[in-house]
Amino acid sequence: MNYVFNPDNWEWLVTGNNARFIFEGFLVNLEIAVIAMVLSLIAGLALALARLSLWKPLSVAAGTWVDVWRNLPLIFIILYLALSVPGSWRNAYEDTIPSWFPEGLQSGRVLAAILGLVLYNSAVLAEIMRAGIQSLDRGQNEAARALGMSYRQSMRMVVLPQGLRRMVPATVSQLITLNKDTTLVSIVAIQEVMRHGRIVTGANFFGGVQAPVLQVFLFVGLLFVLVNLALSRLSRRLEVRERKRTAVGTVKRVRGLEEQAV
Amino acid sequence: MGDVISVLTDNFDEFLAGFWVTVRLVVFAFAIAMVVGTLVAALRITPNKWLQRLGGVYVETFRNVPLLVLLFISFAGLRRAGVDIGPWTAGIASLGLYTAAYVAEALRSGVFSVSKGQIEAALSLGYTYGQALRRVVFPQAFRTVISPLGSLIIAMIKNSAIIGVSLLALDDLLKTARVVQSRTFETNETFFWAAAGYLLLTVSATFAIRSLEKRYAIHR
Repeated sequence: MNYVFNPDNWEWLVTGNNARFIFEGFLVNLEIAVIAMVLSLIAGLALALARLSLWKPLSVAAGTWVDVWRNLPLIFIILYLALSVPGSWRNAYEDTIPSWFPEGLQSGRVLAAILGLVLYNSAVLAEIMRAGIQSLDRGQNEAARALGMSYRQSMRMVVLPQGLRRMVPATVSQLITLNKDTTLVSIVAIQEVMRHGRIVTGANFFGGVQAPVLQVFLFVGLLFVLVNLALSRLSRRLEVRERKRTAVGTVKRVRGLEEQAV
Repeated sequence: MGDVISVLTDNFDEFLAGFWVTVRLVVFAFAIAMVVGTLVAALRITPNKWLQRLGGVYVETFRNVPLLVLLFISFAGLRRAGVDIGPWTAGIASLGLYTAAYVAEALRSGVFSVSKGQIEAALSLGYTYGQALRRVVFPQAFRTVISPLGSLIIAMIKNSAIIGVSLLALDDLLKTARVVQSRTFETNETFFWAAAGYLLLTVSATFAIRSLEKRYAIHR
């Protein structure tokens, strides 16, 4: 404990550019997280709908796809993609990415990282959304159809708004996990917070102070805790507001609904 | 196709060894997660406000920190601080303590899923608080907890892959695939077999949990 709180061991934080360097790395993580979140939510919804499709081949294909990707370790997927994505794809990525995008995302290596995050998280989110939609009473869809709505209309106006609302807590905890998982992209040499942390501890980098590993990563951990706590607070507030606005009945138990994002 | 088979047969011993390392990591880490998670859950359901808060801090901290950060702290961090810690201890402790936060939450919500009348009835029958928990609440909570604990085991299998490739001295399944790949350059083939290994673990865990769930299903 003495070692942890010894002021000498925290000197690095206020010396030179160390703190700023760590923050810059953390920003790259947040940027990757935001992009991956948006893409995963879109792809996840598409996969969930495909899985619930009435056309058997599509639903079987989507189900297999989802089951494979969500049962593989994310770091496995990222590592595999980093080794196997062809160079031409990377070049295409570097050419198409708008120049106003953050500098940390300009490198072609980011492509494998984002692809991996999206493949894994869209599969997990698809499963969450499917559970949310299926937890809805069947009568909702039947009533909508009886009123003359088409399958699409019923989905869009009746089933999805209610089903997805139920899945907000599970979705948010998966997004928090995604946020934590952005640290895994350090394995494919993207300069984000873990790499920056290691650089700071490596040598007398900034200001001639060698930072101790323990303290640097305690600090990095603290950054993640703060951001993730803010995320979960926000979602809880949204949830309370929603519950006031719409009286949500009891939710039927469906496999996947209680699934926890880790 | 011949390549796929030969990559496995040529490196079978290595793959098998890596597979067992992954299994051992998960088993030991799960033991830690259960013990610590139960303790933290116990803290969170005690009537004492300060103990509750302590449990809450544990859960919020370990749930919101990336596992990779924990691994860095417990291995490189402690080593630099002069603590002699090996990759196995660091890996198992990190994965175990990380998952313990989720275990605690699963157990706590399991306990809360038992209706309040149950414990009140037990107390009015003369049970002490501890007895009521042990004999009335826990057996009922156990059933609702099977499914979330099962998802946690699956998550652990997947998360264990982080340990090997970040703590370089531990050859688990993913690390083995990486080693074989860098020797043979057969990327698709080596990763295919590693994927098969992980899917074998996660999918069979899924089926095991489903059958457990069915056996202890609540008929209401």
